[in-house]
Amino acid sequence: MTLRTSIIMAACAAALAAGPAWAQFKPTKPVEIVVHTGPGGGADVLARFMTQLIEKENLAPVRFQVNNRDGGGGLRAMAYVAEKKGDTHTIAIFTGNWLTNPLVRAEAKFTLKDMQPVARLVLEPAVVAVKADAPFKTMKDFIEAAKKTPGTLKQSGGSQTSRDNVVRQLLMKSTGANWAYISFPGGGERIAALLGGHVNMMVIEPQEAGEHIKAGNMRVIAQVAEKRLAPYPNVPTLKEAGYEIPNVPQVRGVVMPSGVAPDVVAYYEDLFQRMVKTPTWRKYLEDQQFEDGFQKSVELGKFFDTFTNQMREILKEAGTPVVR
Amino acid sequence: MDVLANLGHGFIVALEPLNLFWCFAGVFLGTVVGVMPGLGPAATIAMLLPLTFKMPPTSALIMLAGIYYGAKYGGSTTAILLNVPGESASVVTCLDGYQMARKGRAGAALGIAAIASFIAGTVGVVALMLVAPPLAKFGLAFSSPEYFALMVLGLAMVVLLAGESLVKALLAMLVGLWIAGMGIDLFSDASRFTFGNSEMLDGVDFVIVAIGVFALSEVFANMEQREEGTMLPVPKGLRNLLPTMAELKACRFAFLNGSVVGFIIGVLPGAGSTIASFISYGLEKAVSKHPEKFGTGVPEGVAAPEGANNSETGGALVPLLTLGIPGSGTTAILLAAFVLWGLKPGPLMIQDNPELFWGLVASMYVGNVMLLVLNLPLIPLFAQILKLPSYLLYPIILGISLVGVYTVSSSLFDCYMLAAFGLLGYLMRRLDYPSAPLILGLVLGDAMERALRQSLMMSQGDLGILVSRPISATMLVLAVLLLIMPLFRKFNSWRVRAIEENG
Repeated sequence: MTLRTSIIMAACAAALAAGPAWAQFKPTKPVEIVVHTGPGGGADVLARFMTQLIEKENLAPVRFQVNNRDGGGGLRAMAYVAEKKGDTHTIAIFTGNWLTNPLVRAEAKFTLKDMQPVARLVLEPAVVAVKADAPFKTMKDFIEAAKKTPGTLKQSGGSQTSRDNVVRQLLMKSTGANWAYISFPGGGERIAALLGGHVNMMVIEPQEAGEHIKAGNMRVIAQVAEKRLAPYPNVPTLKEAGYEIPNVPQVRGVVMPSGVAPDVVAYYEDLFQRMVKTPTWRKYLEDQQFEDGFQKSVELGKFFDTFTNQMREILKEAGTPVVR
Repeated sequence: MDVLANLGHGFIVALEPLNLFWCFAGVFLGTVVGVMPGLGPAATIAMLLPLTFKMPPTSALIMLAGIYYGAKYGGSTTAILLNVPGESASVVTCLDGYQMARKGRAGAALGIAAIASFIAGTVGVVALMLVAPPLAKFGLAFSSPEYFALMVLGLAMVVLLAGESLVKALLAMLVGLWIAGMGIDLFSDASRFTFGNSEMLDGVDFVIVAIGVFALSEVFANMEQREEGTMLPVPKGLRNLLPTMAELKACRFAFLNGSVVGFIIGVLPGAGSTIASFISYGLEKAVSKHPEKFGTGVPEGVAAPEGANNSETGGALVPLLTLGIPGSGTTAILLAAFVLWGLKPGPLMIQDNPELFWGLVASMYVGNVMLLVLNLPLIPLFAQILKLPSYLLYPIILGISLVGVYTVSSSLFDCYMLAAFGLLGYLMRRLDYPSAPLILGLVLGDAMERALRQSLMMSQGDLGILVSRPISATMLVLAVLLLIMPLFRKFNSWRVRAIEENG
């Protein structure tokens, strides 16, 4: 090979890399999916399911690999993604925590504003459950009882910023009722506390509640969802039950580092659009009783803004110190 | 005999060649990840989860459960040989296991660990099979006040873990409690002792402290000794590598104690295998005829905690399989796996999928035998590592510790923390502070604080909730007895001396 041909070839390669308008971006090496939980956490299980699905349905020319950046209450993963500015082979699963944690943590160096929205994937509805032998048949029964003896009824849930507590704060504010919120770190402990009769109510994922209802251990008195979920046709949503509070979805989707070209975003956006259309994905949503929350990049960016503002207000009202 | 018929069906499932293969693959992998510090069964199962989507759920469950209980066998190896806990539950095994190795009984310690694991693992499966549903109800009766009392009982064991000075032990325990309080507070969302570092928000990982205080401080302490070739004694011949009859006999009660304590604590969703092994070790020491020898390398001190952490596996599967309630990180992943396989975990799962439950139970009998057969021949091989001269052995311990901590969350910050805790452990050693109470405080502190605050929220601030419930009151009384026992002994020895002087 002469010097001249190699120069020409190098030039061609450079031109290709720079990407003329018609050359669409395609990943050329394995893509890393960053999650903020350790193996087995909610986001991790979703990411691992997605890698399998993408491979099985042949949706992308390369493999997708999960990278667990757990720790720091999710902030470590966020910093990792934000610092990879311009990296076209890194994406991340975000959850509601990515929106709320920077609001309450002074330690956070980055917010979702420092990342590129790609696609929203799922909305996780929830149901309000009580023990089957509890006297509360409806949400109203519970609220009335809570008003009669303020502070004595108890709800089991996760941390202060979790959806469980946000729903409680909103309900207490709109009704004037008052009940205690007892935090448990693990989902199993929350259910055990309800089934053991140590607390009176909990906000639970419908799929988790399903079997306990069938076995006659639990009763659902309201749904935290936009519209009634298929397995609970006779249980009203909070709105239908007369509680006008903003719907608080648990949300999961995909973001990537900022500073990437539009065709890169378009590529991933299209990839996930194709993914959510597969029957395997539809079945996954159905099994998990998730709502299809697909949104493209631009709408997702708007969603981030409105959701962040909404959460800021809710947290402030709940008395949680908000730092930004 | 319903149970026998069901178990028979279970064995038909478990003994299918394919399931036998997956069972072996699971326990083998489990042993390997157990030996490696840092990499635990939870992470391994999560990483293998996508591979199981194409397998029949029963085979997949048999394999994943094999990893779970297999890891408990492997965890003792590095604890005994190198003072590096292979996984969090083996931390108690370090106390006497490593001392046995130093006395040339490494093979015996490994053998006792394997036998205790086998016995307790099998007892755990029998109990899982026979009493799962009623026991799950018992587990639900446990709530925050009971957990608080359990943790207090555990903390009271500090008097058993103390060496010469109870004051020093209490100080070490308080440091452990302090470290346990670092990170985000669950109830108020406040950051505690993070010094503005986002790395500190999740608190300090227990594995880092345990490896630092046990393994790294051992390395530092040995750097002082400048003389060449201080090799640990390794006896020759297979006979000397296995436990003697006398050693096994000394462990009779420990096998039973570990099996029962481990299983009961396993059933409780809010406790865990590390707590189980601590409590079983404490119980063993409390009833021992020679409690002063614990910590110097007694076989019971290995058998009790190793038994407890294996039997705990059977116990932890009770709330998972009968109620769909996971009690630990690993069972939470198994729960996620059930959902992904299209099974519906919950109170009806055993009823709806009998072949799955009974196949799993039968496979666990098979798996425990496989593990014993797999582990016993490896002992002479593993024990050879102690033949290395110290200028090779201690760098190896250092390397394994660093790699182990880095694998937990691939963070360099954690490695700096490891170095800091290694120094702390070294200082404590030089100043004669026992390290076990520090670990005890760290293991129990978080859960105890949580349980206390949950209890007080339930009772609207009334401390009476802690003593008005029978289970919690009983445990608190036991804790008080445990605490005043040394005073009583002191008084007794003073009285004896007084009588002798008079007579």
